[in-house]
Amino acid sequence: MSDEVTNSMSELSHSPRLDAKVPAGRLQEKWDAYKDAVSLVNPANKRSHNILVVGSGLAGASAAATLAGLGYNVKCFCIQDSARRAHSIAAQGGINAAKNYPNDGDTIWRLFYDTIKGGDYRSREANVYRLAQVSNNIIDQAVAQGVPFAREYGGVLANRSFGGAQVSRTFYARGQTGQQLLLGAYQALSHQIAAGRVTMLPRREMLDLVVANDRARGIITRNLVTGELERHAGDAVLLCTGGYGNAYYLSTNAKNSNVTAAWRCYKRGAFFANPCYTQIHPTCIPVSGDYQSKLTLMSESLRNDGRVWVPKDPTDTRAPEAIPEDARDYYLERRYPSFGNLVPRDVASRAAKKECDAGRGVGETRLAVYLDFDAAIRRLGSSTIQDRYGNLFEMYERITGDDPYRTPMRIYPAVHYTMGGLWVDYELQSTIPGLFVLGEANFSDHGANRLGASALMQGLADGYFVIPYTLGAYMAGIRQSESISESHEAFTATEEEAGARIDRLLNNKGDKSPTQFHRELGQLLWNHVGMARDHAGLEEAVSSIESLRDEFWERIRVPGSADRFNKNLEFAGRIADFIELGSLMAQDALRREESCGGHFREEYQNSEGEAVRNDENFADVAAWEHTDRRPVLHLEKLSFENVHPTTRSYK
Amino acid sequence: MSRPDVTLVSALMSPVGRKVLTGVTGIGLVAFVIVHMIGNLSYLSPDPQAYNAYAHKLMSLGWLLYTVEIGLALCFLLHAIVGVSIQVRRRQARPVGYKAYKSSGSPSRSGYSARSMIFTGIILLGFLILHLNSFKFGPGEAEGYTAILQSGEEVRDLRRLMTEKFREPLYAFGYPVVMVLLGMHMRHGVWSALQSLGMMSRRLSPYIYAFAALLGALVAIGFLVVPLYIYFSG
Amino acid sequence: MAKNMTINLRIWRQKSPETPGKLVDYTVSNASEHMSFLELLDVLNEQLIASEDDPVEFDSDCREGICGSCGVMVAGIAHGPQQRTAVCQLHMRSFKDGDTITVEPFRARAFPIVRDLVVDRSAFDRIIAAHGYVSVKTGSAPDANAIPISKDAAEEAMDFAACIGCGACVAACPNGSASLFTAAKIEHLALLPQGQVEASQRAVAMVDQMEAEGFGDCSNYAECEAVCPKGISVSGIASMRRAYMKGVFSK
Repeated sequence: MSDEVTNSMSELSHSPRLDAKVPAGRLQEKWDAYKDAVSLVNPANKRSHNILVVGSGLAGASAAATLAGLGYNVKCFCIQDSARRAHSIAAQGGINAAKNYPNDGDTIWRLFYDTIKGGDYRSREANVYRLAQVSNNIIDQAVAQGVPFAREYGGVLANRSFGGAQVSRTFYARGQTGQQLLLGAYQALSHQIAAGRVTMLPRREMLDLVVANDRARGIITRNLVTGELERHAGDAVLLCTGGYGNAYYLSTNAKNSNVTAAWRCYKRGAFFANPCYTQIHPTCIPVSGDYQSKLTLMSESLRNDGRVWVPKDPTDTRAPEAIPEDARDYYLERRYPSFGNLVPRDVASRAAKKECDAGRGVGETRLAVYLDFDAAIRRLGSSTIQDRYGNLFEMYERITGDDPYRTPMRIYPAVHYTMGGLWVDYELQSTIPGLFVLGEANFSDHGANRLGASALMQGLADGYFVIPYTLGAYMAGIRQSESISESHEAFTATEEEAGARIDRLLNNKGDKSPTQFHRELGQLLWNHVGMARDHAGLEEAVSSIESLRDEFWERIRVPGSADRFNKNLEFAGRIADFIELGSLMAQDALRREESCGGHFREEYQNSEGEAVRNDENFADVAAWEHTDRRPVLHLEKLSFENVHPTTRSYK
Repeated sequence: MSRPDVTLVSALMSPVGRKVLTGVTGIGLVAFVIVHMIGNLSYLSPDPQAYNAYAHKLMSLGWLLYTVEIGLALCFLLHAIVGVSIQVRRRQARPVGYKAYKSSGSPSRSGYSARSMIFTGIILLGFLILHLNSFKFGPGEAEGYTAILQSGEEVRDLRRLMTEKFREPLYAFGYPVVMVLLGMHMRHGVWSALQSLGMMSRRLSPYIYAFAALLGALVAIGFLVVPLYIYFSG
Repeated sequence: MAKNMTINLRIWRQKSPETPGKLVDYTVSNASEHMSFLELLDVLNEQLIASEDDPVEFDSDCREGICGSCGVMVAGIAHGPQQRTAVCQLHMRSFKDGDTITVEPFRARAFPIVRDLVVDRSAFDRIIAAHGYVSVKTGSAPDANAIPISKDAAEEAMDFAACIGCGACVAACPNGSASLFTAAKIEHLALLPQGQVEASQRAVAMVDQMEAEGFGDCSNYAECEAVCPKGISVSGIASMRRAYMKGVFSK
């Protein structure tokens, strides 16, 4: 393939390497047909199969618990000190399901349709439909585990509308839905740990994938306490390692969220799909200074009652309360009269950027807009507002020192979620047989933009209800005699390579810290591969990242040694991979000559500044293959047999 | 999972059991202290023989009294043993202490009373021995401490013994100091016992905590007025 | 503009569980009142790397107070002087220019020190594994609305379920007890019908595991509630004891 790189990559046809294995038949019957036909694994054989689950977030914990419950031998790894701390825990808003408890007309079809439309028609129909189908089972499962979802006075589950959906299909547990769902999965995992069916290995970082005879055979991990490199052989590897938003340095992701495990798989032959699709969340607390280490999300639900505005006059530096109504520009209400403040995330984010670029930003950095509750407080009373958003207001005050009951919040968009990820087929299997990818780490269900309350749904759908079936299809086809032991030469070679990378980092003794490089990379990506991208900027990003990569290996300084707890060594290894990923993100963004979802190209907008999609040339998944020279593009052409791509309009 | 193998004894030795034991014995001791205090207050009655009459009545309960006394002794013993064991385990649970440590403040109940339970407890134990030696096993009818009740009965003159003791400054002021410590011990102890016995809800908690403080203060005052009265009226 | 602050830090440095540690003095002269406490430590670490010193190791992840990774003693209080706040959301405006702040790891025998301010809290995972779950396998759940749960019960369960497992309760407890953590999980599940089925055996198993891990006794100081970033009430400890005794006597 590498020799066939063409100038106009969009003219590539569907790659034979990308067989999505979508079952035949009507969309509504595909999953059932698949389950009817899939091979089952003999219970006695399950016990002799070792499954490695990397990551313990919603996808990882739910998969590990479920597979162990089925009888597989599971090893589960996480980088945190406890499986309970995976970053799924930070999800606030809720989880969607097509239960239709409020009887407001929701159906599986509608959830499917909203998700595929919200993703700007860049996802695979069959995967998304299956996601909507199993969404209801997730809620049942979570309730049975003791997840304390919000309830109505009659004792039934409460629902709310989220992210501008026209039905109330979001289940929630205060502003801590991710935490509660993760604790449910973690408890199920703990149950299996106690039963001896899962071996939990916390404080382990996956440094490489072991591939032999074209199959995933195991992983190399680093024990983050002792520094030891460890070999783990398995019949299948499930990568549940989350997204790569931290490439931007500042994001709402946790400090330890990283791309390394996925990137190592990419370098071993797994294709990386749609890396340019990143979601920028509009309501985050703005950056306050150079020391800023992360950004904090304020739930999207705030836009239900808050009004977004900036001063009309860029030179108006009065306190927000002192600015009269007629000197304010409620730009979302002005530009999108029918959706107003409730336009989807990507639209709201770009609009904020546009105001700030025009010099109307507020606050010390001028990179913020106001989110004002004054009208809502006057209309509903401050006690109602407190009931709805009390904990968010408190959090805002704790971080900024400002009281949102009295003065408008200042918000700004921040990187939040990455829709791209390792390419997987309908079975969640990557292009390396035996390597499965679940949750945010894969590219599969959200297309170019993810709807609110869908991330939790996807992580748990993959782990609880999809992989238990699709893994069986793979396991039934492998023979025990094919397993390789941890002393196999593939393990030796891969471990040596991982060790050599660590040595190289430590022995470099340069003069710049890992964090300094991370900030620089983040700034580059934010400026050029952020909310709005253009050809020149992306080309500049590719070349700047190239030089940053060279500088990194020349000047990196990692303190301490390899044989101990060493956070900066962890960071350095991850940043090296983020730099390489950053380049691929820019190249992918450069190739996608259209605007869709989280990917907005300045060149492709209409006269009103709205995104213009190009379905004729870009209704595809861009899956990149690593080679020693440059990444090679493969396309999975998307066909829409059940929905007809339309232009999203929120006017 | 099968139910873990628990016996009543192992349950009482568990972290929960130890607290239940402390709480139950503590409540027994509080009941005793309150009865004792009310009895003492009869010293202040206009009837000069009221106190001796009360004491005599108590003594004439016979086996009932002995049962209560044995019960109280057991309470003291268990309360003290568990209290000391908690203290020992505390050292084990944090072998290296903090260089800097302070309380975060309300809703913490970790004030002076709570933090000094082991010290006030040990002082109260020492006091108890002295107190029994001075009064219960102190001079009686054989040593000439005899009083005659209105009924004509000849009884031990505890009132005289008490009056003499509390005319001595060491007793008159030493006792009230210990009673303040008792009040402090009860302030945390009463709340703690109810919490340990699982009788607490979030709504009730502040009231019970206030009640414990009030009870501690009342008991301390109830006990210390008599010695001070005797000393200053003498 | 944000005020520039000079902050003196006395930080516990310890290379391994076996080697003795000590407090070491540092100064950060370019702190800002808008910084979080962990960002102050980040700035210090950059300073230390630049001067070829060993940076201070500490755990942190989400930095928005929900993952429970971070947790150190700041000026003698677990998570620092601002209540209901994990140390990642403690901001420097809680301190004054020129302050000297002592920073120590969470200390307990059951939380052995890994390095500097990093401790091993896996004892908590083992307490959960003892029975901190509802024994339900994937796929065996009835419809989510099959069993109504009163709003009050769900809300109260949520109050306890909010525990982030940071270990501040243990660190602040003068006795080094893990009662609040253990009780929070027992109560969260006991308040819901799904969890009631196994409530007593859960309480017994988890309390016994807590004991086996070497945590101290609870003396009802309630210091744990005061430092808990989620403000979890010690009333849960009272209920845990009730459930435990019920578990013993109903055998």
